[in-house]
Amino acid sequence: MSLLEWLSHTAPVVWMRESESVWGYPTVLFLHTFGLGLLVGFTAAIDLRVLGFTKRLPLAPMARFFRFVWIGFWINAVSGTLLLMMAPTKLSNPAFIVKMLLIALGVVNMWFLKRRVFRDPAGVGEAPIPAGGRLLAASSLVIWAGAITAGRLMAYIGNGR
Amino acid sequence: MQAFADWIATTSLSAFVNGHAWVWPACETLHFMGLALLIGNVGLMDLRLLGVEKGLPVAPLSRFVRWAVVGFVINLLTGIMFFAGNPFQYIYNTAFGYKVVFIALAGVNVLLFYVTGVARQVATLGPGEDAPVSAKVIAGTSLFLWIAVMYMGRMLPFIGNSF
Repeated sequence: MSLLEWLSHTAPVVWMRESESVWGYPTVLFLHTFGLGLLVGFTAAIDLRVLGFTKRLPLAPMARFFRFVWIGFWINAVSGTLLLMMAPTKLSNPAFIVKMLLIALGVVNMWFLKRRVFRDPAGVGEAPIPAGGRLLAASSLVIWAGAITAGRLMAYIGNGR
Repeated sequence: MQAFADWIATTSLSAFVNGHAWVWPACETLHFMGLALLIGNVGLMDLRLLGVEKGLPVAPLSRFVRWAVVGFVINLLTGIMFFAGNPFQYIYNTAFGYKVVFIALAGVNVLLFYVTGVARQVATLGPGEDAPVSAKVIAGTSLFLWIAVMYMGRMLPFIGNSF
């Protein structure tokens, strides 16, 4: 029996999955939605600024919003792991695999974007943003939109939920 | 309400939503993207006014609010599609009732921000400058209400028994 399968039979996970309480499965789902909002919402705002929307807005203080992106990321890493424990068969859902790959790609993309555009906080915003930076902002928007799509399709493709 | 639901179920929009298997999941996906745009761009402004992120000047930052409006419109339209497709799933749902109330309150809150002159007041705030208490109350209320809208939306299938 795999670790994940074993976890799926532990008392707290069984309770979350089978309890009628809104504090079980529904709350974990809500946290996953809230985390998505933070992660993708703030990422999109940063991407739009890098792409040239509202050039008057200084870029350097904008970088502080990466904190909220990471808060959203970790809320979803934890709530997502719980959701997976509740239904380990997700592992074999093609949409789930695509979603995980897109998230990995999104994080790597964010790391490159940060390095390329926000490396020198003092000078950020003075010089025009390099084309490479704008390309990374555009790919970020596409990747996270893809991750949302794959996540939603998990309920329709393969074994569902 | 029942009469309205009866009517909307006969519209061609309702038939469209139910006539193609891809429409519902496509709308759900767009609804999640709209949600992210809304909460992210509203959050930007709210966190600035609350003083969590004081480094940004308010006037240019407030331009991002229009992306929140884009998110809201996407969600209003896709929400109408859900409702038209299966109105009876929503009209007697407790969570849906609360969701609509919270959306209306959030709308009133936005209106207060602009009508009372608070928006004009904060527009002059530069980096590091503190927003007045009135703006902080509106910003805090905004965050609370939009998160509540999201919570009630997520609870649609779980609170009440109409799904």
